[in-house]
Amino acid sequence: MSARNKELLGLVPVAGLLIAGFASVFVVGGDDLDNTSLIFGAYFFAICLAAHIFLRIRLPYADPYLFPLVALLAAIGLVMLYRIDESFARDQANWFVVGLVLFMLTIVLLKDYFVLERYRYLIVTGGLLLLLMPRLPGIGAQVNGAYLGVDIGPLAFQPAEFGKLAVVIFLASYLREHREVLVVGARRFAGITFPPIKHLGPMLVVWGAAMFLLVFIRDLGSSLMFFGAFLALIYVATNRISFVLIGLLMFFAGAWFFASTVGHVGDRIDVWLDPYADAQGDGFQVLQSMFAQADGGLFGKGIGESLLTAPGNDQPLIPEVQTDFIYALIVNELGLFGGCGVIAIYTLIAARGFKIATIAQDGFSKLLAAGLTAVFALQAFVIIGGVIRVIPLTGVTLPFISYGGSSVIANMVLLALLLLISDRARRPQQSTQDVIG
Amino acid sequence: MKDDPAAVALKFAFLGVLYLFLLVIARSALRDLRGRTAIAPPSDGTGLHDIADARVAATDAALVVVTGGGLTPGDRIDLFGGVTIGRSQEADVKIVDRFASGIHARVHTRGNSYFVEDLESTNGTYLNGADLRGEAPLNDLDEIRIGDTEFRFELSFEDGY
Repeated sequence: MSARNKELLGLVPVAGLLIAGFASVFVVGGDDLDNTSLIFGAYFFAICLAAHIFLRIRLPYADPYLFPLVALLAAIGLVMLYRIDESFARDQANWFVVGLVLFMLTIVLLKDYFVLERYRYLIVTGGLLLLLMPRLPGIGAQVNGAYLGVDIGPLAFQPAEFGKLAVVIFLASYLREHREVLVVGARRFAGITFPPIKHLGPMLVVWGAAMFLLVFIRDLGSSLMFFGAFLALIYVATNRISFVLIGLLMFFAGAWFFASTVGHVGDRIDVWLDPYADAQGDGFQVLQSMFAQADGGLFGKGIGESLLTAPGNDQPLIPEVQTDFIYALIVNELGLFGGCGVIAIYTLIAARGFKIATIAQDGFSKLLAAGLTAVFALQAFVIIGGVIRVIPLTGVTLPFISYGGSSVIANMVLLALLLLISDRARRPQQSTQDVIG
Repeated sequence: MKDDPAAVALKFAFLGVLYLFLLVIARSALRDLRGRTAIAPPSDGTGLHDIADARVAATDAALVVVTGGGLTPGDRIDLFGGVTIGRSQEADVKIVDRFASGIHARVHTRGNSYFVEDLESTNGTYLNGADLRGEAPLNDLDEIRIGDTEFRFELSFEDGY
């Protein structure tokens, strides 16, 4: 079966899941079960089909499973958002369509994605400027002590989502060129291999940017994501575990320093360590989400069954359940199995991404695929880890599921880049090489 | 609204389809891990396999990648008729190595022997650790180093081991 037929076949169960999800929400909500959920499902399938046909024409050899997996995440997100508030789902569906348009545009405009390598300094400068924007007076918006959003008239977005793409593209092209000198120039000192200072420039710049994000924008989650992706790329490029250890050490040193000096970061860590200290205040959100997850049990309460607001008042039981805490709602409604299923989707996407990196044939493609996959997987890890209290909670979105246009659109562009790389890597060569089924 | 049977059925149907779907995709990922599908060909379009008929030497031989060059260690590069190694697109075996020249060296046959020849590269070719000027005959298990990239020359005999 060809790659594209596998993809088409994969989209069918995804549409089925969307229909089942909506049907369940209607049944539980007391509505008559008519064909509304089927219509939603048909719309969703039609949109995915359009993207699929586009891929069939433009990228016939691209990875067959990435798009269905992403569509599955979007389907789960739409069902859950509809369940919280109809208007959320409508917005999200619009963003999904806009995201797909950008996805197609990326594939058309960046068919030769090596141009990214040429403009890397422009791209990274743009990315860092974007990250600065939330602090500019007039357009910046502060939410819960963090400066995450930009608000220009009708246009509101979270620059960190796009910044991550710029940073990964820059690192991949920089390391492609400098990885040999990083390895060859390495010095051993006291039994540890240190990278050469001269070529450490980008390491220090990115470390500085991560720390800067922490302090200036107070975006702990994005700084974790950026730095994690950077370490993953350094490791892929040089195969030196000692560089990663040094980087981690630097990160923890910086994080520890800022945790003890910047109130916002320190608070997050205190809440993580002991949410009960202020159960009605700072710890409320995390505790409520943990109760909700425990309440879900093995198989959950059923889609549409969970309690969003306490009886007799309209205060939400979990604040921000549509963005940061959507994972808690999924676990409440679908149980441990549903939650593990969602994590499995992200894991499989990461596996496909790294597979693309291994079969890509040139250094830039390999590094870019590895970096994009790492940053995507880390984003899912950072927010799910925060919600289940493995790491301190930080405000990043759950890719493709959380309510939020920037996240959907930026991750669609990320997906487009991965598919471009994989199409190139899997394209059969003129000789009779056995290329990957 | 407590435990609506339709909702319970839909919930388990949802989970069931979700896991079946994931299982199918995970299985194909596992197949990839078991099989050696991830071949990552040694270089972009070497065209080496197209000239299989052009064997010259009596014995087949291969260069085995030891380390570096953006190649997969253990990969065998068949030496049918001879190959050029270097950093440029025109080289038969394209290596990613800062210290390699465009067309750095070539391996070729004359009579029944294989030879390695340094093509006036900037940083030199090393045969068993010694700087190679001009060309030298290759013996089984000789090591060739270009920059950070190392190959081992292996003869393969008729009944092959």
